[in-house]
Parts: sequence; C-alpha cells; structure tokens
Amino acid sequence: MEDTLKALISEAEEGIPAVRTRPEFEAFKARYVGPHGSLTRAMRGIKQVPREDKPRIGKLLNRTKKRLEEVFEVCLGAIEDGEQAAKWGEAIDPSLPSPDPPPGNLHPLTQVREEINRILKSVGFAVADGPEVDTEYFCFDALNTPEDHPARDEQDTFYLPAQAKFANVNKFSEERYLLRTHTSTVQIRTMLRQRPPVRIISPGRCYRRDTTDATHSASFTQVEGLYVDKGVTVRDLKAVLDFLFKSLFGSDTRSRFRPHFFPYTEPSYEMDASSAHLKKVGKEWVELGGCGMVDPNVFAAVGYDPEVYSGYAFGFGIERCAMILYGIDDIRYFYQNDYRFLRQFGHPVSC
Amino acid sequence: MLISLNWLGNYIDLSDKTGEEIAHALNMLGFEVEAVGETGLPQLEKVVVGQVLSRDRHPNADRLGVCRVTVDETDAPLQNLCGASNYRVGDRVPVALVGSTLPGGHKIDATELRGVKSFGMMCSPLEMGLGEDHEGLLILDGEPEIGTPINRVFPDSDTVFDLEVTPNRPDCLSHLGIGRELAAYFGKELVYPELKTDPGHLPSTGPSALIEGVTVLSPENCPNYIAYSIRGVKIAPSPDWLQGYLRAVDQRPINNVVDITNFVLLELGQPLHAFDANKIGGREIIVRQAQEGETIVTLDNKERILNSDMLVIADAEKPLVVAGVMGSVEAEVDENTVDIVLESAYFNPPNIRKTSRRLGLSSDSSYRFERGVDPNGADFAALRAIDLIMEMAGGERVGPVIQTGAEPAVEREIAISPQYIRNLAGFDFPDGRIREVLRALECAVRERDDHWKVEPPSWRGDLYRPADLAEEFLRLYGSDRIPDAPVAMSGMDHRDAPVASLARQHSRYLANRHFQECINYSLRSEDEISRWFGHLDLDPLRLENPIASDQTHLRVSLIPGLLDALKFNRARDTGLERVFEVGNIFHERERRVYELFSVAFLVFIPDRTTSWKKREAFDFYSAKSIMEVLAKAAGLDIESIGYRTVDGGGSLWLQGHSASVGTLTDDGFEAQIGRLRFKVVKEWDLEGDVLGGSLEILPAKLGEDEGLVTYRPFSQFPPAAKDLALVVDESLLAETVRCQLGKMARQVAGKRFDLEAVSVFDVYKGEGIPKGKKSLAFNLRFRANDRTLTDKEVGEVFSALQDRVEASTPYRIRN
Repeated sequence: MEDTLKALISEAEEGIPAVRTRPEFEAFKARYVGPHGSLTRAMRGIKQVPREDKPRIGKLLNRTKKRLEEVFEVCLGAIEDGEQAAKWGEAIDPSLPSPDPPPGNLHPLTQVREEINRILKSVGFAVADGPEVDTEYFCFDALNTPEDHPARDEQDTFYLPAQAKFANVNKFSEERYLLRTHTSTVQIRTMLRQRPPVRIISPGRCYRRDTTDATHSASFTQVEGLYVDKGVTVRDLKAVLDFLFKSLFGSDTRSRFRPHFFPYTEPSYEMDASSAHLKKVGKEWVELGGCGMVDPNVFAAVGYDPEVYSGYAFGFGIERCAMILYGIDDIRYFYQNDYRFLRQFGHPVSC
Repeated sequence: MLISLNWLGNYIDLSDKTGEEIAHALNMLGFEVEAVGETGLPQLEKVVVGQVLSRDRHPNADRLGVCRVTVDETDAPLQNLCGASNYRVGDRVPVALVGSTLPGGHKIDATELRGVKSFGMMCSPLEMGLGEDHEGLLILDGEPEIGTPINRVFPDSDTVFDLEVTPNRPDCLSHLGIGRELAAYFGKELVYPELKTDPGHLPSTGPSALIEGVTVLSPENCPNYIAYSIRGVKIAPSPDWLQGYLRAVDQRPINNVVDITNFVLLELGQPLHAFDANKIGGREIIVRQAQEGETIVTLDNKERILNSDMLVIADAEKPLVVAGVMGSVEAEVDENTVDIVLESAYFNPPNIRKTSRRLGLSSDSSYRFERGVDPNGADFAALRAIDLIMEMAGGERVGPVIQTGAEPAVEREIAISPQYIRNLAGFDFPDGRIREVLRALECAVRERDDHWKVEPPSWRGDLYRPADLAEEFLRLYGSDRIPDAPVAMSGMDHRDAPVASLARQHSRYLANRHFQECINYSLRSEDEISRWFGHLDLDPLRLENPIASDQTHLRVSLIPGLLDALKFNRARDTGLERVFEVGNIFHERERRVYELFSVAFLVFIPDRTTSWKKREAFDFYSAKSIMEVLAKAAGLDIESIGYRTVDGGGSLWLQGHSASVGTLTDDGFEAQIGRLRFKVVKEWDLEGDVLGGSLEILPAKLGEDEGLVTYRPFSQFPPAAKDLALVVDESLLAETVRCQLGKMARQVAGKRFDLEAVSVFDVYKGEGIPKGKKSLAFNLRFRANDRTLTDKEVGEVFSALQDRVEASTPYRIRN
C-alpha cells in the first residue's frame, strides 16, 4: 500500500508539465480522485487493511490526498496564468516609456518660496497674505515714506486711475490705488489687525515700473518677515537671518550686515551672504536683500507703542534668491515658462 | 558718487591704508562701493628706470633688437630683447625686471628667443597701463635717475571709488563728508580746509557790491540767499592739480572760476553759482517763482518751458538760473568775464526735486539741493570759493555780503540713554564707546548719569530720534561685530493665511497630477481682454501709467497666460501638454473690482501624437474630477450649488462641452470646466484640443472656521440595491433627475430605512428610446441601521417609488 501511494505521488508530480488546458486538467485530476481514480481506489482498499495498521495507513492516505491537492493547485495556477497572459496579449517591454504625461513640477519660484516658508515656519513664523493691488497709504505713508519720495513717483510705481474702486481692498482715506512695490503692505495690514506679538512672513508678487531685462522685471516676487514683541533686538535679527541663510545656502554660509537706508527701518542694513556655493556665482559676498529694526514712525502708524515694543523686518527677492541658488542668469526665464527650464527643478512633493 | 583718494588726502591721512581697506570701510559705513577705478600709473613693483647702453640686431630675427640696459649703476647691465624701434641708445625707459607683474597680469620671466636670452622687458605705454600706444617704448623725459621705482616718476596715480550714497546722507555727497566718515571709522583726525578770509571780519563798507541787492519773493522756497561780489578776475584754464581732481571724478574742466565752484561743490557738498556780473540786467537779483510758460535756455543748450511751481534766479528782466538746478547760457561766466557775483543758497528740497523731475533735468547741484545741503554751510562754501578764486583768478572781493533770509534753524537735541542703545542692539558695549562714536561724528554730547542730551551737527538732518543715534553707533561700532546668537523665540499658535495654504495644496495636487506649474505676468493687453472677456468693463482694470503696450490691464483670468505657455512650448517643441497656474486675478462687477485668488489648469491634446501607445483622452469628466478636488481643498460646496452648462455667450468655453458653477456675488466663487472653443485654440496657434478648468475665489470666503467635526454613527449591516432606468428629456441634467429621484425614494422609505446613495450608472440614447429623450439608469442603495434588510421590505419601497415616479413626474420607467 505504502509503495503504491508513493508511486502515485511521484507519477502525479511528473505529470504536471503535461497538463496545459482545463480539459487536460480535469482528466488529470480524474486519474487520481475521480470515481475510478487511483487514490479513490486506494481509499476504498482501507477496508482490507488489518486493524492495527489502519491508523498509520489512514494518515498516509490523508497525506497523499493533501499532496495531490497541492499538485492540482500548481497545475491550475499554471493554466490560469496562461489564460490571463493570453487575455492581455503580448508580454510587456519594461523598457518602453509610459504613454502617460511626465511628472509635473512646481515652478522654481514656488519651490524657493516654499523652502523659505518652511525654514521660517520652523522657527515660529506664519505666512500672512494681502492684496496685490493696495493703496498709497499701506504701501508708503504707513511705512514712513514721505509724499515726495522717489519710489512713489509715477516713473517707478504703477498706479490705478483715481476713480478706480476696489470692492475688497480697503483704503485709508482718499489715497490712490497702486500695485504694491513690496509686501510690506501686508505687515501694515497685519499690525493694524492684531496686537503684538506678531511674527509673520509675507511672500507675494510685487510690481515696479522697470523695463524688463536680464536682471529687472516689472513683476517679481518677494518675501518679507516681521517680528514685533517686547525686547526684540538687532542681534535677534542677525540670528534669524543667519539661520535662514545657513538653511538655504548650506551650513558653511556666513552672513554680513552692511548699514543702509530704508524709510521703514532704523537702523537699516543690506544683508550679504557668503558660502562655498555662493562663491560659484563669482563673488565673495552676495547681496540678498534689506533688513532692519522697525522704524518708530511705522509703529506710530499702526498704533504700537515704540516705548514698549521693538521689532525687526527683512525682505528679499525670491527671483534673486533662486538665481543665486541655481546659477540662473536671466530673470525673464521665470516668466517664459519654457518646459526645458521648468522641468530642471523637479521636486514637486518634497518642498 | 565718485570719490578720489588723492583728493580725500587733503582732509584725512589714509597713507597707511590700502585701497581694499578703504573700500571695505566704505562698505561697512553704508556707502556701497560699486566700482573702484585706478587712474594714472598703477602701483608697480620691480619696474624701474633703465637706460639703453647699446642696441644690436638679433642674429636670427630682423625685427628684434638686442640691447644692454642698465637698471643699477653699481651692477652689470642686463641683456634685453626689444621689438620696438622708436628708441635710441642713451634713452631712459621703464624696465620691468624679472619677477615683476605688469597690468593685466603679464608676468616677466627670463626668456630666450631664437637663441638669445632676455632678462626683463622694456615697456610701452600700453604695457604700463598708461594709454593705448603699444608700438614704441615709453621714452622718459627729464633724465630720471636710473633705478628709480617707476611710480615715483609718475606720481599722479589715483584710486577712484564709485559709491552709492543713500538718500538720507546728502552730507556725504562730498569729499569732506566721506572724509569725516572715514576719520570716524579709522579713528583719525579730519582736517577742514582753512579759510583765508576770516568770516568774522568782513568789511561792511568799502567799494560797493556789483549788484544793488537781492530780493527773494519766495522765501519758503529759498530761506537763505548769500551773494558775494568779486571784481577783476582773470578767466583762464585751471591749474593742473585742479583739472586733475575734476577729471578723476569725471568732471570736465571749463575755466578757473567754474571749476572752482564745481570743486567746492564736490569738496563740501554746497552747490554755488557764479554769475557774470555784467550780464545781470538792472544790477539786481530777484529770486522768484517762474511765470507760467516762461522759457530759459539752460547750459545744456535746451530750451526749457517753466511753470509757476518752479523757482528761478532772475535779474530785472529775465530768468538767469533755474534755481538750484542749472544756469542759463545768458549769465554764464565766459572768457571775457571780469566781475563775478557768487551765489550760495539754501533751497527748499522738495521744490527743487519737483522742478528737476518736471524738467527731466538733474544736475550735481539739484541732486544735492533736493536731498538737502547743510543748512549752515552756505557761507563757509562761498568763502572757500572766494579764497580759491582770488588765488587762481585774481580779483578782489568788493562790497558787503548781501544776505537775504537766514540759515534755517537746525537745533535738535535728542534725549537718549546709553542703555536704550544696548537694549535695541541686544549686546553689550561701554558708554565710553558710544560717546566716542557720537563725538567722532561731531555730535555734541552732554551727560547727566544715564540721561544724555545729544546735539547732532547741522548737516545731519537725518538724526532726530534715539533710534537714529542707535543706528549711528552700530554703524561705526561695526555691524560685522554683531555677535552670533541662537534663534530664541516664544511659541505662537498661529497658522498660515488660508490663501497661502490653499495655494500650496492646489499646486502640490496639480503637480502630482502631472501638471507643470507656470507663472505668468499679471498684466495683460487691452486687446486680449476685450476679445475674450468682452462682457467685462475694462476701464476699472486699466493702469494709469503702464510701461508696455501689451501690459496695460490687470488680468481677469489665468487661462490666457496658460495658453501663452502652451503656445510657447509648442513652438519650441518641448512636449509640454499639461499646465497650471496659481495666482491672483481681478474681476469687475458693477464697476467695482475684486481681487480674487485663482487656480487654472489646461491640458493640450495635440492632433498628432507621437506616443507609441494610445490612451483614452483627457475629457470633460477628467477636468470635473480635478475641479472637485480643488474645490474641496478650498472648502467650497460645488455639489449643492450644481453645475450649469455653458450656454454660449461665454467666449472661451465651448457650448455643450463646458460647465460653470457658482457666482461671485452669491457664492463667493466661480468655476468653469470643459473644452476651449476652436477659435481660442486657433488664436494661440495650437493644433489640437484644449481642455481645462478655472476656479476663482474671494479670499474672504476662505478660512471660515468650520469648527470640529462631530462623528456620525454608521450602519454595520449590509445594503440592498435596486436599479431603475428612467426615460427623460435629453436636455435635462442627470443631476436634476437624480436629486428628484433621491428625494422621492427617501419620502417613500420614510423612517423605515435609509436611502444611502443614488448614482447614475448608465446614460443611453438610441434604439428603443424616443427622439429627444434619453435613458438614465440609477442605482439606489438602501440600508438600515439596525438590521439586514429583507427583499420584501425593499421590494415594497421600490415598487411604491416606481408608482410615485409614474404618477408625479413626466419620466417614464424603462423596462
């Protein structure tokens, strides 16, 4: 009996490759477990087995049955695979490209903006927003920029007609609407809305009446930061910008403040950075933007007491930052949307 | 502004500083050095005077001479090869010795040419950096001593710094002003030019002045006017040193008197004007507003039409000078001038700025007046000029000084405590250092314990608050010495503005859906907007002062910019087919403009594709699915408002294949999705189809606090499903029928169990369906909270529903 069963299994195993279709499979199966199948016959033979051998032979029969079922499973699997593959046609060529569109990307200006946001958010800033069309008051007067300041000239700033009415941009009084020249307008609107502490960044589009060339654009993007609280110092300002530049340009980055003049900060500085990466641009120190301590007159305009609060503000161009980061030599590429340019900056998810 | 190092040497000794150190100091003082120029002979090491002792022809090169040259009389002469021909034995020439470097980085080594050795090089002017001539050697006149370093033979080299002087520092638009800053920075002494005329002892009588008087009719625009008379000058070219200074800073020497006024302007920052006294009609100066339309021919030979806002210096008959801006050809000092009236004044800065702008005429003089000259500096400058005139042009001062008005008051006292400066800075330094800095800047400091009173000098109109003094201190203390510190901030629970986080979500989603982000200018042309958005009133979107004819209006949609991007990339065959942009746009409603947040996406399906495998094309429903996600991220309830088909009239979207939802006024947003019209696609030279969508939202609509979500329990039992097909008018929206059917099913089911969902699973037209009708097949899913539904109870409800549909709607049930 034992030998019969062993032979039965090895015969079934050897038979697997020959079973290619479902009818063949059925016939194959019937050969063992059909009414006249060899296993069926063996099972019937258990009656003749002496009583003391029955448990052993019973077990053996069960094992044989199990093994046969495994063999059938393998056969059926191979048949199903064959049928499925036939249904799906020719085998694939894994080297062929997907006909679906290539991955999308975020614009490099968005990537740099989001990277700056990410870094500054990690030290507690939040993004604030405001309108691109703003008014002379929020863009200049409240920022201590006098009426006859050259920046306010029609040569340099885009204005809307005196009769223009904006439903969702409020005026201070009867001043003109304009396209904001910096996102400091957002700082004013935020400070008018809330009491200190204020800690915001305001990225966004700005406009200056420049003729467009390789380094100028009438429309550009800026990010500005503002922190107002009790006891904010020049040293804090330096610390946050050091942190930002090290994060952005590499941990070997050094930064430097050069005294400068802006109507809305006192003291005012231009900030330079220097690093191995930036040196590739060809200069020891690369100018990045402006910063300083909020001018007392700005606090007066928003009703903060300069005796109680101090604050810092900083701002720089995102285009300039991206140009330095990536070594881009023409600002117009950012607005041309040439895919060969845009797809070079492909990290849509990570930033 | 250009600053000459040689000129600066008159006020501060910088001989121990290199050009680089000075440039660094200027940068760190807040005067950005934009360029450093060298004039004259650069500093050259190992280039000395040599003498040619002999000259022979090179045995193997006709054009070369072999010379013996002595550069040290105690040492043997050097052998030198030379290609020039303009020299003779005995000439003295510059010789670059082995090991020297010439301008342009040319290193001199011992060389050998066709078998003859050469040690050092005799130089041409070009090789020395002294001009263009490279044909011949530079032959030195006057037998300079052999071996003398060449810079001693050409001592007039100079370094010129091109500085950016910020508008708050008009006091530094002069050599003395910059000298003062450097003196304070380096801790050196500042030497003022010495006046030969003692201003305290001017005669008040004597020969009378050259003019009768000065009448100022606009004292608000001209608070102080001083006129001195000088008789008998001899106009001639200026001496070389003066011409040299002026040329170094790009000024053209004219004649001694004019050069002196320019020199004083660049030395002290006070513009002066010299009149030819004999050209002043009526011997009288009148400072008045110009008459409307009055004309004057300025020194640049242009006729200027004046208006009554502009101040002029006139005689009895005509305007002679646009005050503070530019003189006229009429009263110019020329070679025949013998008598001079010298003007030194203080003009109201905004008025000068306005005039200069209006005339489009800026001069060294207007540049300074409009920023504000030293209110107390007029007299000193005039006397300085008189000293120089008498020294260089002769003549004598006659008559008393004529002064109309007075120096504007400048007394300012700032109360400050040194602790305030330390608090703002955030680091420590002693009181003494603060005092030192303020005094170096010529501020008077009076101290009583921690209460200081600081009085800045008259020329520092920018200092009037404690913050201004803090800045001055930090500037001179050195902003490069601000100590490093960790970022230390208290926690704040605040989040990003809703628009910012929405923009982030939208752009990430679309980028992940294989769209490329684009950024376009937000100014567009009138033509384009009126062509595609003709229903809008363009006027409120127009800029008052556009700079380019194709950028005159605020954009009303992101779609045209995205079409530009597709067109641009199509023309360049870059393969870009899916684009999106996130940005602000502007909509006009009843002549009022709304600034809106917008996101738009387009898919270009070219007629001819190059892909090896065909895909089912992006269609209306693909766009709908994307819009669903965009709207959801913005918290907009598109479903309950419902899409409407675009019914013509719109000019971008194709009727019957596009839809819109929402209105700005009612819902705070609008969205369009679908297929762009062929006319649009053609206009942008795209051969194929373009689909997409655009969403525009009022920013105020975003970020409405939704509060916390409360969990609703849901059934743990299986659903029961039924299908029902209805024949309806083909013009009906599926959603209309679906809603109606759902409502009826809920009514029929009542409280027995829930209708969980109704969804369309088939839309059919054709055989078996009457013309003008379509069949909509719905799947209804019922479920109870507390049990498994039986066929019986569901069947009852379903048959009641069918009865209801037959009875109360025009729809027919299809079997």
